[in-house]
Amino acid sequence: MLKVIIIDDDDIMVFLQRKLFQKCGLTKDAITFKAATEAIEFLKNEEINQHFLILLDINMPGMNGWQFLDILKKMKISKNVFVIMVTSSIDCYDKEKAGTYSNVIDFMEKPISIENCNRIKDYVLLKEFFTN
Amino acid sequence: MPYKSLPLHILIIEDQLSDFILIEYYLNEVQNNIKISRAVSFMQAENLLKYSTFDAILLDLSLRDEDNRETLTKNIVVLANNAPVIVLTVYADTGFGVKSLSLGISDYLLKDELNAAQLSKSIHYGIERKRIESQLRESENKYKNLFDSSPLPMWVLDRCSFRFLSVNAAAVDLYGYSWEEFLGMSIKDLWAGTDDPETEILELIRKDGFFKLNISHRKKNGEIVHLKIQSNPIIFDGKEARVALANNITASLEAKQALKNSEQRFKALVQDGSDLVMILNFDGNLTYVSPSSKLVMGITAELLINYNLFEFIHEDDLDQVKGSIIMLQSKKRVQIPSYRIKTSNNKWKWLETILTNLYDDTSVNGIVANSRDITEFVQQEKELMESLKRYNIVEKATSDTITDYDVQNDVMHYNEGMELMFGYTEDQISAKGSWWDEKVHPEDVERVKNKVDLVYKKGHGSLQVEYRFRCADGSYKYILDRTYLVTNENGEPLRMIGSMQDITEIHNYIETIERHNDRLKDIAWTQSHVVRAPLARIMGLIDSLENFEDMDDQAQLLSHILTSARELDGIIRKINSKTDESISHSRKC
Repeated sequence: MLKVIIIDDDDIMVFLQRKLFQKCGLTKDAITFKAATEAIEFLKNEEINQHFLILLDINMPGMNGWQFLDILKKMKISKNVFVIMVTSSIDCYDKEKAGTYSNVIDFMEKPISIENCNRIKDYVLLKEFFTN
Repeated sequence: MPYKSLPLHILIIEDQLSDFILIEYYLNEVQNNIKISRAVSFMQAENLLKYSTFDAILLDLSLRDEDNRETLTKNIVVLANNAPVIVLTVYADTGFGVKSLSLGISDYLLKDELNAAQLSKSIHYGIERKRIESQLRESENKYKNLFDSSPLPMWVLDRCSFRFLSVNAAAVDLYGYSWEEFLGMSIKDLWAGTDDPETEILELIRKDGFFKLNISHRKKNGEIVHLKIQSNPIIFDGKEARVALANNITASLEAKQALKNSEQRFKALVQDGSDLVMILNFDGNLTYVSPSSKLVMGITAELLINYNLFEFIHEDDLDQVKGSIIMLQSKKRVQIPSYRIKTSNNKWKWLETILTNLYDDTSVNGIVANSRDITEFVQQEKELMESLKRYNIVEKATSDTITDYDVQNDVMHYNEGMELMFGYTEDQISAKGSWWDEKVHPEDVERVKNKVDLVYKKGHGSLQVEYRFRCADGSYKYILDRTYLVTNENGEPLRMIGSMQDITEIHNYIETIERHNDRLKDIAWTQSHVVRAPLARIMGLIDSLENFEDMDDQAQLLSHILTSARELDGIIRKINSKTDESISHSRKC
């Protein structure tokens, strides 16, 4: 089982993504957090063997996406967490920086489209969770 | 018939009175002024001979106190002191008479046949013979002395065996061989060279006649002596010999050689040297020109000597040269610093000349002019002066501070830039390198030092470095320093010449631009993130409306679109005002 988490301070964006994931059959009930710190707390209590796909916004008040990644990589659960960075604008610097985190598997520009969702289902690392 | 009128004193040794009277009678017949003494015994004769001298002695051999006639004869001959001894004998004794001649007597007479004439002849012959004998002996001694005491080495050689028959003291002195050693040697043992024409010399020695030659001999200690030998043939002890006189010319030969060397050296200096040497008079007429004139002026010495030196001198320099020559009337030596002289191809060369008045030296009898071609030097000097002038102009014209650091002596020179650019007065500026070092901003010191060390290590090249340098008022100026390292042939640093350019203004300008850029970056970031956030939302919402028609809450989606559009509008307005602010701010700067 793959649990999908959306971390974004933008309510509308979260709303849209949840809807999209439902329609695309990615997940019926994505877990959403408006703040990255909440997500950290959540992950701390999860089973180590549980797999997660996180759609992570970069620019957030309080803890931003990068700070979240810094904490995540030190957590035991880290190896089973796949992160897709989601940002309103991709610049080279961000992309380069994302490459230094092993958890990050992709980088997407908002808004996430149906094509984006289909791409997620095709990831080699995630394929096993979407074959039914 | 008297032979001689000189008075004679005769000793007669005769014990028989009758015989004595007879002899006395004969003698008085011979000569008037004759004094006669008589001894009757050997003892008496001995006494008389000790205290008086006699012109002749007549000896009767039959004396009572001496039976041995031979001993008697010998003794009397010794006592006679060179006076002739005439033995009187009886007929029966003729045998001994003959024998006694070999004992040194001058004659013997038979008593039985005695007469005045015979006696007179015998006495006078005896006296005369003794005189001649003594003269001969004296002359021989004289010549022997000449040989022995000659200050020049002499020797006598056997003309056949070439062996030494005699050498004098001077020869012993010269060669170091003893007299005995010489007599065991031949002349060939003295010859020094192996390449001497030996047979030729041996032939000369063997032949009759005078010869002289120069030859080298080796002394006993191995030293070589050079001799001039004169040789004359003589008969020596009955042998055909040669007497040779040697003149030691070693010292004079060496002196001659030294003189020759010295002459050659001077000749080489004058004739083969690159300097032009001339002898002239006060009017500039030449009496000697060294061959180097061909080299210096392109004119051979043979040709140049026919001209007057003044004809070749540049008219602007002629007065200076003539003036220098006139100064020689009161000064021995004058130097003409530099003047131009025309060469064979009508070009000018620069010469530097030293004039020496040698009129008092009869072998020169003129002014010696020693000239050096300094054309190249003058040109180099000109170029150097121009280059220096250029450097000085550049140094004055530049607004940079010029630094010139003598690395080995730790001395720094600055142009006036140190005063104008940094405000230091002359008293405040120290020539020590450390003075400069401590003006560099502490945060820049390490970086500057590393750069300089790198240039030192490489041993060549230039460096360009930016740093802050403290002014007299304590403020810092931004400096762009371009420095060039001058090294010696071993690559060791000698001087560092640099220019310090004040880039404070440029630096401030860059800083302003950088700040401006930061603001623009900020705007760009805002545009990409803040602006795009609501836009992305709107795009996402519209996308949802389009793709999922069955969506139950369309009204909510539309409301979200409106909210997002308003948000976007607000953001864009904010950006506009921020950009305006940034532009007006940068204009103020």
